[in-house]
Amino acid sequence: MAKEKTRIKMSATDKAVTVFSYIFIGFIAIVCLLPLIMVVSVSVSNNTSVVQKGYSILPRDFTLDTYIYLFAHSGMRILRSYAVTIFVTIAGTALAMVITSMCSFALSIKSLKYRNVIAYFCNFTIIFSAGLIPWYYVCVNWYGFSNNFRALIIPQILNVFNMFLLRTYFEQVPVSLYESARMDGASYFKIWSSIAVPLTKTGMMTVGMMYALAFWNDWWNALMFVNDRDYFPLQYYLYNILSNVNAISSGRVPAGAAANIALPTETVKMAVTIVTIGPIIFLYPFVQKYFVNGIMTGAVKE
Amino acid sequence: MKREIKRHWQLYLMCLPTIIYLIMFCYIPYGGLWMAFTDYNVVDGIFGSKFVGLQNIRYFFTGSTGMGLKVIANTLIINFWGLILGTILPITIAICFKDINNRFFKKIAQSVMFFPYFLSWVVVGAIIYAFFSTSTGIINQWLAGVGAETVRWYAEPKYWKPIIIIADVWKWCGYNSIIYMAALANFDSSLYEAAQVDGANRFEQIFYITLPLLKPTVIILTLMSIGRIFFGDFGMIYGIVGNNALLYDEVAVIDTYVYSAMRTLGFSYTTAIGLFQSIMGLILITISNHFAKKINEGEGLF
Repeated sequence: MAKEKTRIKMSATDKAVTVFSYIFIGFIAIVCLLPLIMVVSVSVSNNTSVVQKGYSILPRDFTLDTYIYLFAHSGMRILRSYAVTIFVTIAGTALAMVITSMCSFALSIKSLKYRNVIAYFCNFTIIFSAGLIPWYYVCVNWYGFSNNFRALIIPQILNVFNMFLLRTYFEQVPVSLYESARMDGASYFKIWSSIAVPLTKTGMMTVGMMYALAFWNDWWNALMFVNDRDYFPLQYYLYNILSNVNAISSGRVPAGAAANIALPTETVKMAVTIVTIGPIIFLYPFVQKYFVNGIMTGAVKE
Repeated sequence: MKREIKRHWQLYLMCLPTIIYLIMFCYIPYGGLWMAFTDYNVVDGIFGSKFVGLQNIRYFFTGSTGMGLKVIANTLIINFWGLILGTILPITIAICFKDINNRFFKKIAQSVMFFPYFLSWVVVGAIIYAFFSTSTGIINQWLAGVGAETVRWYAEPKYWKPIIIIADVWKWCGYNSIIYMAALANFDSSLYEAAQVDGANRFEQIFYITLPLLKPTVIILTLMSIGRIFFGDFGMIYGIVGNNALLYDEVAVIDTYVYSAMRTLGFSYTTAIGLFQSIMGLILITISNHFAKKINEGEGLF
């Protein structure tokens, strides 16, 4: 009888924990989702209503006018920025994957005598960096990073963290596969391209998506090296719109000067934001699963 | 050595792009650190300019504007709270997630929580604008709704450290919780079964099994963050606050200060700041690595 009683009591605690879990996770999920819904809603709202009544979770007087206006007025600018971003993302990710996976593959082979030396050579750059200024100096003065694609691509084509992450995947491939291919006279390049890479799909996908995301979301390189609008990636285009707005809403810019800067309307700001993240929203359902798996299998060393 | 090269030349060749890249963008810039000890001017070049010893770094700490100590404090405060909240929240999410059995709910919640990781800081900046815009923002609507006085957020520096810390935690909570979920998934389920047989309720299981088992992961991730505590997130600060001069002092971190000072206060001064940052990083990483090795059975952070 007494035993029965404690069991009921325990299950009450268990239930409370479960209920709390649902509520808590539900709450966090809403907090993560709501801001995005709001951005979408405002972008399809009527601008006058938004100015009068403010932002809202649901669209105010649904209309696609903003998008039509956006592409009619600054369509070429946006399309140009889109093209820049897409080119940088595709070319950059491809280059980055070749460089990164070759090095990760080589460093995953245990018989490579100086692999620890090379690994340390790579690691040291994470532990101690020269800082922004010397890096900026060589990029601008020696490598000619200014208003060109290389300024947007090259700074990101190698991430040492990603290289080591990918190495953990290559290390899981059984060495015997490589050895038998060697016996058959295959070169290491052949082994890399036709054995190692196909066998580490999860790792390649994860790291590839990390690079692609970094290129897509990059605006820092543009801030550093680009002032020609023809080379503005999407994110930097959006950054410029928003930072003008920020400066004016602080009230520090004199009214006269503020009048000269054409302020984008509220709905336009949110529409550009949606245009910027559009492809991510469409691709997200497909890539998310790989990403989660990739991080779960690779990120934890233990 | 010769035999090794002959046997594995292909593998070394595969590492070569990475090595060249790191030499170009990490090792050559080390030479530029000399600027930190000179009064650099363009005419005399890096190694021809006048040697001034530690004057630059001294100015950083004792300069009349007091910006040096201010940006160090800002960096540490933002990173500290980001670290604390960015550890507690994802762990809570991961633990609650384990208690949720409804697969549909689980899937949706995970997708939604992971999404902010895919957004750039500029987009996060746009979302924050939607909340805090003076005339149209959601927060001011709520304040007006309950009869409270509205706030000109973009002109009130004091609110922005918390806003930035919350944005940081928001963006990363999904990603970090996946790392903890991966750790949880590796735990031996027989421990929980044994605990259930012994009559431990869910709450006790969390406290006596889950949390102690998570401890090593938490410590390792924390040590890694501590190694980078002197490095601010440039993109986060610039993406959210932009060039709003009114808020700048309150949220400027070392990295944004270096960027904005490089044109006004010169390359030597800003290189010195970068050097200070790197040395602090090196010291903290070495200490963290020492502790990590102790906890992690000889395996360090890198």
